[in-house]
Amino acid sequence: MRRNLVRGRVTAVLGVAALTTALVVGVTSSSGAASTSVSQSKGGKSVCGLGNGKKATGSPIKLGAINTQQPGTDFTDIGLMAKAYFDCVNANGGIYGHRIAFTEETESTTAQTASAAAKKLIEGIKVVGLVGNSSIIEADINHKYYEQKGFYVIGAGIAVSAYSTSHFASINMGPRYSSDGAAQWALSKKPDKLIFDQSNVPGTGYNAGGVALIAKKYKVPYKLETDNVPIQDGKSVAQRLVQDAGKNGVVVLNFTPPEALKILQGAQQQGLQDDVKAWACSTPCNTDFLAASLGPGWYGKLGVNAELNLTSAKAPDSALYRSVLKQYGKAVKGGLGSFSQMGFTAGRIATQALLDMGPNATYTAKTVNAAFKAVKDFKTDILCKPWYYGKGSFHLPNNTDRTVTPSKDGKVMVQLQGCFGIDPVDPEVAAARKIEAKQ
Amino acid sequence: MRLPALGTIRVSRTDGIRALVVLGLMAIGLFLLPAVLTVDWMGVLAAAACYTITALGLGILVGRVGLVSMGQVAILEIGAWIGARLLFATSLPYPVVIVITAILTGVIGTIIGLPALRLSGLYLALITLMLAGAVTILLSVTNFPNGAGGFLGYDSSTTIPPSIRRPSIADSDTGFWRYALVVTLIMFLVALWHVRSKPGRAWAAIRQSEPSAMAAGINITFYKLWALLLASTLTGVGGALLAGSSGQLYQTAFSTDQSIQLLAVVLMGGAYTLWGALVAGFLFSVVPHILDLWHLNSSLLLILFGVGVLQVLTTAPQGIAVQFPKDMANLGRLIWRGVRLVVPARGGAGA
Amino acid sequence: MPSWTQLQPFIVTGLSLGGVYALSGTGIVVLYRTTGVLNLAFGAIGMFGAFLSWQLIHEEGWPQGLGFLAAVAFSVVAMWLYGMVFGPPLAQRDPLVKASATLGFALILLGASSWIWSAAGGATRFQPIPTDTHHFSVGEAMVNWTQVIALAVGVLVVVLTGALLRFTRLGTAMRALANDREVSAVLGVPVRRVEAVAWLWAGVLSGVSGLLLSDLVGLDQVTLTFIVLISSVAAALIARLRSILGTLVAGLGIGLVDACAQPFSGISRYHDMAPFVLALVGLLFVTRKGGALAGRRIV
Repeated sequence: MRRNLVRGRVTAVLGVAALTTALVVGVTSSSGAASTSVSQSKGGKSVCGLGNGKKATGSPIKLGAINTQQPGTDFTDIGLMAKAYFDCVNANGGIYGHRIAFTEETESTTAQTASAAAKKLIEGIKVVGLVGNSSIIEADINHKYYEQKGFYVIGAGIAVSAYSTSHFASINMGPRYSSDGAAQWALSKKPDKLIFDQSNVPGTGYNAGGVALIAKKYKVPYKLETDNVPIQDGKSVAQRLVQDAGKNGVVVLNFTPPEALKILQGAQQQGLQDDVKAWACSTPCNTDFLAASLGPGWYGKLGVNAELNLTSAKAPDSALYRSVLKQYGKAVKGGLGSFSQMGFTAGRIATQALLDMGPNATYTAKTVNAAFKAVKDFKTDILCKPWYYGKGSFHLPNNTDRTVTPSKDGKVMVQLQGCFGIDPVDPEVAAARKIEAKQ
Repeated sequence: MRLPALGTIRVSRTDGIRALVVLGLMAIGLFLLPAVLTVDWMGVLAAAACYTITALGLGILVGRVGLVSMGQVAILEIGAWIGARLLFATSLPYPVVIVITAILTGVIGTIIGLPALRLSGLYLALITLMLAGAVTILLSVTNFPNGAGGFLGYDSSTTIPPSIRRPSIADSDTGFWRYALVVTLIMFLVALWHVRSKPGRAWAAIRQSEPSAMAAGINITFYKLWALLLASTLTGVGGALLAGSSGQLYQTAFSTDQSIQLLAVVLMGGAYTLWGALVAGFLFSVVPHILDLWHLNSSLLLILFGVGVLQVLTTAPQGIAVQFPKDMANLGRLIWRGVRLVVPARGGAGA
Repeated sequence: MPSWTQLQPFIVTGLSLGGVYALSGTGIVVLYRTTGVLNLAFGAIGMFGAFLSWQLIHEEGWPQGLGFLAAVAFSVVAMWLYGMVFGPPLAQRDPLVKASATLGFALILLGASSWIWSAAGGATRFQPIPTDTHHFSVGEAMVNWTQVIALAVGVLVVVLTGALLRFTRLGTAMRALANDREVSAVLGVPVRRVEAVAWLWAGVLSGVSGLLLSDLVGLDQVTLTFIVLISSVAAALIARLRSILGTLVAGLGIGLVDACAQPFSGISRYHDMAPFVLALVGLLFVTRKGGALAGRRIV
């Protein structure tokens, strides 16, 4: 513990040193244009990396990601979109001429595949950083290994350890805090009861912790339910939830998209969607697939917590995201959506960190991870607030988000509620805000 | 038909060769593989060892007795749960945990199979298929132990779950692979002893013809039960090893389709020889890692296993473990014949 | 404890799903009795057909009716092809081998389908059937016409199949095959033709149940391939792989128990274990009562 702390400080110092060198070198070499040359934007428009249109040919900087892939669950879009962004960076000067070589590994929610993927990347391929990890279990299995190896992962987490450990920071805020946000929206409808239903997977108790506290704060009776996945009979589940919630109650769901869809459809097919005050859903429901599958009739009735901006947002980073996806993202099967947004943002943060190391940096696992850890105040219009890594013993940089709902014509998701903070009655949110205030 | 008494196992000359092969394989596994392969392989190989032991049990059931379990992964899941629970709750040495897990899993597996045993084999297959679904549900409700107290040993609000303990002499991935390999060898010897002694001969008789086995005075239900017990016990050993190998267990790793895939690889490997279990473990655990290495979609694995099962069942029922050496021998003969054809022709031209 | 009015909607969903279990179960039993093949790819074939029709309707813009027909057509062709290609080489083998081989086919279909229709980017698919939006109420429960169709088709198919087996020459031939293949062949029953009909009919049932399930359960590969299959096989098993009427009753029973366990908070989380528990109870009953059955080969 103590040794970790010391090592943490050393790496932090190194990181700050790297940052200062970058700034100094930048200033001296490009006559005052330092801030623009490393900010990945030109004339108000976002660009990939240096944005100079020159193909990077220098020695490669190896990065990698681990994503879940198995029948029914596929998070590879996150790694693949990070790769698409790096390809764009490579076509635009790379990292001061260095190419980013990116490897995506998959795991199939077994301990051995998750652990093998991490060891293969770090010890086999010898990547110097992990960017875009997104897996149901990977963070739980590997976080100790990352701590041993000094890797600071920039990921998109699901497992508890993607939030509760020192060496993993996520673009999104994960099931617990996203459920908090969904519950907050549902409670704004002034219900007399809140039912929180989740899939029966490890971490349910942790995930439910925040919702319970928020319901208590609003003095609304709360009940936690769990369902086994895959759900065989969504109609019965929907019926049970509606009966338990009652006419003036709300139902908050925390499921993967296909399972949430089964329940919501079950409700729709039985004409139950208006039998409760509102339905709310944590972030996985935020896909246009879901909006299109449900069709019209859910506008304002279903609030989905959104950790990221709308994919159609008219803002520089969102515009770049769409153009990179179009030009480099042939492999991203799901297309526009929160998965690829997360991969894009992770790639962009990592690129920023690498550029901040300065043109003459050496890229080793030690220096690159120090740079990742040193990321702070990273501004993007895809997130509500600036993103940071820092040396916290846990990471929750994304704790302010939006609410979206299926559009009136039932085709896409549209915004229902702008950026709002997750209620600090959830102690970890309060702790994260305290860390932010110190920075 | 008189059965020789238990314990009189004849040793033939081919056994000597086999023992040498096994020794060679062990040396390769213990020393060569850790030296030439990167560390990510060690976890994969350890898992392959766990599934090999499970496949060994299932292979005996399928190949020797003609019973098919379509839910062996569910039994493995029970074994892994018991193993993990014991490893968290007690400080018993790892081998003791393996033995207790094996006994408990063996008993549970047998009890579950009991009602179907007296009916045709198809009933056992189907009831085990349903078991696979049911155990999955049961364990997604109870979850795997994560170091908490109580009977279930699971606390859903744990934020940093501790790892399941490994034996102190095998804490590293490489160490655990070696440990698992030694356990696998012991389990092969246990299986061999069964196959070579009285139960093995009884199974062979039952497989040939149940009526004539009955006429020969063999207690069919007893020996079927024995096979079921042995298969479940071996699976329990696999489960206890898998718990330590994985560090953390998730119900997602034991889904119904995994059960079907395990049966598929056992059939592909070949259930009539114990070597088939090695092939099965390789197919189940190592091939996915290879596919991943080549960045191929994991769905390809399912297609591969599906084609493999159909191919093996229709054309080579003895499985890869028997068929592959035959194919290689045929290929060798073919090449030799080709060489013999080419060489004299040249000689003729030169003269 | 839920009240009677609260329980009613669960009875509706239970009966509709039970109807489809009975439908699939009947297909499995008829095929098994005629050809000796216990087809565990039954769910997979229907699943692939349902995904195919989703693709044709939602991506290629086919009219809905045509898309649905394509699903059934795919199932019929896939089932028949399997029967024709793998039936003869496995004909003399143990029923267990035949059943295991169908698992190979199921794995291929599952793999191909999750490759083609991946879940990347959180992709979800849904196939609404027009009858979904037409509701009426029975007591306290809202019923939509898809649910009515599911139950009605289930019952109708069972009655039709039962009548076919009993009253037509083809049915007699099928029953003869189920009894003893060799003797039937000697007596001049056109074995291959009768078998082909059984495969085709099983294909129709698998296609229709796949479509209904894609609406009632959802377009989800693993669930349709194995989870739903387990319920259907349990229904067939309780009916001792023989009785068509028994399959209907067992199918409805499984659907009902599964759905009605939902509102009871103590057992709610275990409700999906219904097929296993009922099949186990059924088996115990069979072994206890049917001493003559024990050890006797069925079919």
